[in-house]
Amino acid sequence: MINLQDIRDTARDLLAKNEVRAVIGYRRGSSGMLAEPVTITKPEQADELVWDPTCFHNLSRNLVEDRKALTRARQNPDLPIAIIAKGCDARSTAVLLQEHYFERKDVYIIGVSCEGTGVVDERKLAAKGIQATDSAFDGDDFVFTTAQGEQRIPAREVMADRCLECREPFPKEHNTALGENKTGRELEAPFTALKRFEEQDAATRWKFWEHQFDRCIRCYACRSVCPMCYCEECVVDSIRFPVSGQTSAEEKGNRIRWIERSAVHSENITYHMTRVLHLAGRCIDCNECERVCPVNIPLRLLNNKMEREAREQFGYEPGASIGGPSLTASFLDKDPGSFIR
Amino acid sequence: MEKILGKTKINEWVAALSDWQVSAPVQEDGIWSYKAASNVQLDHTNTTQPPKGFSFPQREVFFSFEQIKGEPPRLTQKLPQATRHAVFGVRPCDGNGAVRMDKVFGDQFVDNYYQSRRKNVAYVGLACNKPQGINCFCKSVGGSPVSSAGMDVLMTDLGDRYFVSAITETGKALMAAGKSLFSEPSAADQKQVKQTHADAVAQPQRAVKDVSGAPAKLKASFDSPLWEELARSCIGCGACTFLCPTCHCFDINDENISSSPLRGNRVRTWDNCQFPDFTMHTSGHNPRDTLGSRLRQRVSHKFQYFPENFGIPQCTGCGRCVTECSVGIDIVNVVNKVTEHVG
Repeated sequence: MINLQDIRDTARDLLAKNEVRAVIGYRRGSSGMLAEPVTITKPEQADELVWDPTCFHNLSRNLVEDRKALTRARQNPDLPIAIIAKGCDARSTAVLLQEHYFERKDVYIIGVSCEGTGVVDERKLAAKGIQATDSAFDGDDFVFTTAQGEQRIPAREVMADRCLECREPFPKEHNTALGENKTGRELEAPFTALKRFEEQDAATRWKFWEHQFDRCIRCYACRSVCPMCYCEECVVDSIRFPVSGQTSAEEKGNRIRWIERSAVHSENITYHMTRVLHLAGRCIDCNECERVCPVNIPLRLLNNKMEREAREQFGYEPGASIGGPSLTASFLDKDPGSFIR
Repeated sequence: MEKILGKTKINEWVAALSDWQVSAPVQEDGIWSYKAASNVQLDHTNTTQPPKGFSFPQREVFFSFEQIKGEPPRLTQKLPQATRHAVFGVRPCDGNGAVRMDKVFGDQFVDNYYQSRRKNVAYVGLACNKPQGINCFCKSVGGSPVSSAGMDVLMTDLGDRYFVSAITETGKALMAAGKSLFSEPSAADQKQVKQTHADAVAQPQRAVKDVSGAPAKLKASFDSPLWEELARSCIGCGACTFLCPTCHCFDINDENISSSPLRGNRVRTWDNCQFPDFTMHTSGHNPRDTLGSRLRQRVSHKFQYFPENFGIPQCTGCGRCVTECSVGIDIVNVVNKVTEHVG
């Protein structure tokens, strides 16, 4: 069982001893029961930190934002920045380290084990008709505060699918870690949701995806929340087209736009297909993209598919090794594809 | 015109609106959305997307163009087709949204594309007997859970029947189409609707504390470091504005279908002040290159620029941007923090 005080003490000590320049963690939001990301820089702010089943956010994304801000400001501080990392957050941090987005000395990982549970799925909770004002971990249960009093629910019933299938609830990559290591505790077999989906034939699945992509409003919440989507210029944006006094109207008019602004069938499919391919061998199934989608597009099914391909074809697990070769930048003598050997 | 409609008769009324394409909130894929509906239920909380798309779709083709060698370029205007939409179940915050959109696209500048859609859209509103969610704050921004602003008809749920009021001439025509289905309200019905509205208005809500003082205080806070602090966890997506009933910024692009001969469409699409290329200059300079400056723009537009231009806040208190923000950026909290800071 994680003791919130331990998290606060760890953060406070690191700041007080000047071992880190900031700690990225969770605090209570200003509306409702949800936690929100927060960056604290003073020891006394440690008491703002919370730890509950609504700490969904993958804070390694905030490490990316921090690095971008430092680059813009042309700073390279000596002290690392600390983050509170669940098992999945530590895996994506490991991928970022593997890709040298920042170096190991730049980040201090305060690992917090999800132990036997994980985070809540707000949609599952709403489906049960529970309107909570607060939530807490308690062993294998979640405890929700509602207008009718405390409601205790087995976590499995309202947990996010990705947590049910999680193989690594303990943050393997860490500087310090809190909680019990229950690696291998998966409550459901990996890829359970994907397998269920794939029982349908290809035509049915394609129809399903066409329907889903047609619903996309292209708010880019999925891309924006993703720690792996750190490109300075995303394929859908047009911010780096160099324009000078000599740039002609034709050149401006004919600049490459891979994907048009219009949220229509062809462009939406191209956007989502591009994203999922760019995440192959990098997505560690934090599933923030699916959680933040305002129109509920089940993106996890796509990313899981790529994850399973990488695992079954190449025995590759993103986030498993910082020093090892990455999936798409390495070559195997025993590559199953004959065309490449 | 005020009438009573039995709840069981609502779909007979819908069927009687044969000149209209009826849309209503439908729960599909886990969210409420306005969809063409023949079976109208009206047991919805608010929809995830507001009804603004009926008059301001995410993509609008202005005209098509074609350039055949040796011939003059051919432009063909594409004014939207005149489908009449009756949209049922619109909540008062979204009716107030329509009021604001109408000002933007019909006050100083008349937008033909917007207008040719808008004149064919009728909103059949549904009063909120209780708040639709924890983030409702319509009362503090000049609205009300029983407001008829922007509506053609306002319905109030009285248990087994609706109290139906025509607000506009179009509303009267809609009700006239189903006339035998409606009955005259009794004195008891009148009393009940009054009480229901009073109870609805008395329900507690969150509140933006100083809406009238906000324009001056936001102006004074333009350079405040608070913006970067409040936007610290912002991920820079566009969910808040794409789901807003009053955000109306757009981009115009030429979408080429073929290059030889040159053929394509000039299209307007929703744009988003939270996107990095929104204010990108051709020189490469971006005057709003930080998340804080973009949050400031969104909030100041709602609570300073729009009030300066039109005398009312642009925000209608629907709460979508708060509920759907994945990192807890909360416009109520932001405005309160910034205005309190100025004092």
